[in-house]
Amino acid sequence: MLSADFVIATAIAYVGLLFVLAYFGDRRARSNKRSFLHSPAVYTLSISVYCTSWTFYGAVGNAARSGLEFLTIYLGPTLVFVGWWFLLRRLVRISHLQRITSVADLLSSRFGKSNRLAVLITCIAVVGIAPYIALQLKAVTSSIQAVAGSSEFGQGSLQGIDDVGLAFGIAAGMALFTILFGTRHVDAKEQHHGVVAAIAFEAVVKLTALLAVGIFVVYVGGGFESIFAEAAAKGIVVDAQDTFDARWLTTLGLSVAAIVCLPRQFQVTVVENSDENHLRVASWAFPAYMLLMSLFILPIAVFGLTKMPAGSNPDMFALTLPLAFGQDGLALFAFIGGFSSATSMIILESIALSIMVSNHIVMPLILRFSSGVSSDGRGVTRLLLVARRFSIVLILSLGFFYFFFTRDSDALAPIGLISFTAIAQFFPAVIAALFWRDASLKAATTAIAAGFVFWVWCSFLPSFESVSPHVAWLLANGPWGISWLRPEAMFGLDGLDPLAHAAFWSLSANILLLTLVSLVTSPSALERIQASIFVDVFKRGHVPRGNFVPGSATANDLFFVAERVLGDRRAAALFEAEARDSGVDPDMLEPSPGFIGRLERELAGSIGAASAHVMLSKVVSGSDVSLEEMMQMADETQQVISYSQELEKTSAELRSTAQQLEDANAQLRELDSQKDEFLSQVSHEVRTPMTSIRSFSEILLDGGEIDAGQRQHFVSTIHQESLRLTKLLDEILDLSALERGERSWENRPVDAEAALDRALTVCEGLLRGVMVEQGGRAQTTMVEGDADRLCQVFINLISNAVKYNDSAKPLLRIASTVRAGSYTVDIADNGPGIAKGERKLIFEKFSRGQRATDQSGAGLGLAISRQIVTRMNGSLDLVQGALPGACFRVRLAVMR
Amino acid sequence: MSERPRRIRGGMFLLTMLGGLLMLPPLVYVFDQNISHFGIPQIVFYLFALWLLLVIGTGLLAHAMPRDPGDGEG
Repeated sequence: MLSADFVIATAIAYVGLLFVLAYFGDRRARSNKRSFLHSPAVYTLSISVYCTSWTFYGAVGNAARSGLEFLTIYLGPTLVFVGWWFLLRRLVRISHLQRITSVADLLSSRFGKSNRLAVLITCIAVVGIAPYIALQLKAVTSSIQAVAGSSEFGQGSLQGIDDVGLAFGIAAGMALFTILFGTRHVDAKEQHHGVVAAIAFEAVVKLTALLAVGIFVVYVGGGFESIFAEAAAKGIVVDAQDTFDARWLTTLGLSVAAIVCLPRQFQVTVVENSDENHLRVASWAFPAYMLLMSLFILPIAVFGLTKMPAGSNPDMFALTLPLAFGQDGLALFAFIGGFSSATSMIILESIALSIMVSNHIVMPLILRFSSGVSSDGRGVTRLLLVARRFSIVLILSLGFFYFFFTRDSDALAPIGLISFTAIAQFFPAVIAALFWRDASLKAATTAIAAGFVFWVWCSFLPSFESVSPHVAWLLANGPWGISWLRPEAMFGLDGLDPLAHAAFWSLSANILLLTLVSLVTSPSALERIQASIFVDVFKRGHVPRGNFVPGSATANDLFFVAERVLGDRRAAALFEAEARDSGVDPDMLEPSPGFIGRLERELAGSIGAASAHVMLSKVVSGSDVSLEEMMQMADETQQVISYSQELEKTSAELRSTAQQLEDANAQLRELDSQKDEFLSQVSHEVRTPMTSIRSFSEILLDGGEIDAGQRQHFVSTIHQESLRLTKLLDEILDLSALERGERSWENRPVDAEAALDRALTVCEGLLRGVMVEQGGRAQTTMVEGDADRLCQVFINLISNAVKYNDSAKPLLRIASTVRAGSYTVDIADNGPGIAKGERKLIFEKFSRGQRATDQSGAGLGLAISRQIVTRMNGSLDLVQGALPGACFRVRLAVMR
Repeated sequence: MSERPRRIRGGMFLLTMLGGLLMLPPLVYVFDQNISHFGIPQIVFYLFALWLLLVIGTGLLAHAMPRDPGDGEG
């Protein structure tokens, strides 16, 4: 049999385990940046702090009382995570860039670093969360009492201690525990790796505990079907007829707001996030976690209603069912699970709230009352820690008092929803902060304040109905008997569910004021800058700007401020890094606006944006005036920048188009001039034979006294010249066809040696009187090409070698080899060779060597030959040969 | 932002909106019939199935989204 003493001892041992986990988690995360504590899995599990004892115990009770309604609390957050890309990603990105530490910091930073707004939000959060903390205290108290009441010896040392005493003990223990490991140091980014590790561990514990109870229930009940059937036989049915009403919509909406705005959720999801990409995993894994959590809630509730005696508290079914079946081990596990879910919530919520209180309330007070910077040399860090410890005590006390005053209310879930409604008041402002440039500080402040007033009146106050007859009277009659001000029937809106009623009025007033006031007020310069930083966070490679212009601030003053907040070492490191970057001696450092901006963000990481801003404005004097002017422009500048970026893009496109056109034009001009040159060369070449043909034929036509021999000579000249013309035109046609690739050309395997031999045979007549030296010949070699064309190339080369050879003893040397996969033919002569200046030109059209004496060739032969060889994927070059004259080398790839 | 991420982003938006619409009246009434499957009321089945599909859909889309967040408009 379990006793209260035993479960309390177990709980304390469990807390000790958590402490050890947190301690080593912290050390591990610090020493190793890539530890698994920085993994998306741990991140997801830490987000699961959303599932508190409200889930563990309250959801079962809620399911037993109102059927499916409990699901909305998890479906809302599911939607937020399904749409993570649009809201959470933006939130995380902005918070990383701006070193945001809490939801109060986020809104204050966005709305011109206003500290008043931060104070308002912090106060609302502290008051609004009190019922939520009370819920946890109540759940733990009830669970211990459930164990104590389960047997006659269960009471143990709890004898004589009532719920209040027990809850006080729990609250005190929790405060001590949270202080011990939540406020050991002030981190630059307010990240608590150790705590997160413990929270992740608790997430696993509570999930397995609830699953274990669920599986046990399904096992004992004989499966889902028989559980529901048995219940139906007793008249217990899951009635969904009236589920989907205004209340369904309300709780869904509230949970959407809560998963974003609850201080602890903001802390784990946004502040503790070490890598934006972790959201990718959390986006599906966290909904999956909640799905698993909810899987057995309905069976447990239905089974509990069937089996447990009438009048037993359905909130405690997860614990009392195993007890009733004598499963002490499972009951103890369930108790630890419930305890886990309560502790993780209390720890994280009070840490998150204490950061808000110390950063936004205590810190500004210190700044206001400590005159100048020099008064306190011991460092703000210590003061901050003390402030946080006191706030933790305050927060838990508020929770305890709320519990004390409302201890008679029985259900858990409605208490939580009161807190959700309070926290939801931040949601419209958060959305506006992220997406609406024109939302202003005044609007956000009035909207949140109005929402809060409605919440106090319609939701918070009525929760004391059972303890205060005065409140009960107020509820029934309204203040001073004004019935249209009755808290649960404002303006005569009667008959609505109280929760839906409170949420409707508070959020309607909130949203209406937010939009209306934003439209009629004009934001300050600083607000405009912050608005554009927030709204345009994804617009461009964002370079966070400093909001200060260098005024009278010296590096020394700034260092003093930094040292107080960040501590000696970090401040020094920051300043040294800056000095290194700007390449000056640390003593000579001139604070640039960029550096002051960076410093402000660093400070903001520790004490919040508003405090950091105030602190720096004390040092950087005269800044706000120029700031005003500077930032007046910022808004316009930002628009001008985006406009000019557009323009730049367009003009870049235009420039590149123009460049392309210019290139094309140049190419055309080049081609044109080539064509002109070619034409003039062709006409020149044609003109010479035409002239002689014309003059000779004119002589013949005159019919003067020409003897037969002369006539014969004239006619044969005409014939020769026309032959030359024909040949020239043939060559031109051939070359142009080759160049344009018009002629159908098929490379097929040919024997290059045979082609060479054929060329030699053809040139036999030409070679008479020329000494031909065979300088070693290759075997039969197959290359890809056209045999006739290849032969044409060889003939051209050989005839050139003979034609331009003016040596007394003409010598021709022909050699062919196969080396390294290529077939090479060298045709060399002992002629005059080709002058240096002409070597580059000889392959051009109409180029003839200077020393060419006769006009028989048009200067197209080499150009054609080179085209042919190129078409066979080979090369034709002028090389240094074995003989003193020219040497042409044909190189072709050997077929394999 | 190039074509693919834009489409995936559209998918995410659609999934979020669809998920919201499917768990709110009037669409939820369509499945709120007085029928039981395996002893479990149909509406319970429906809500959990919807939930599971949202989890799977989000997982697939988040996986398909290119890693580098880039500077595209979010």
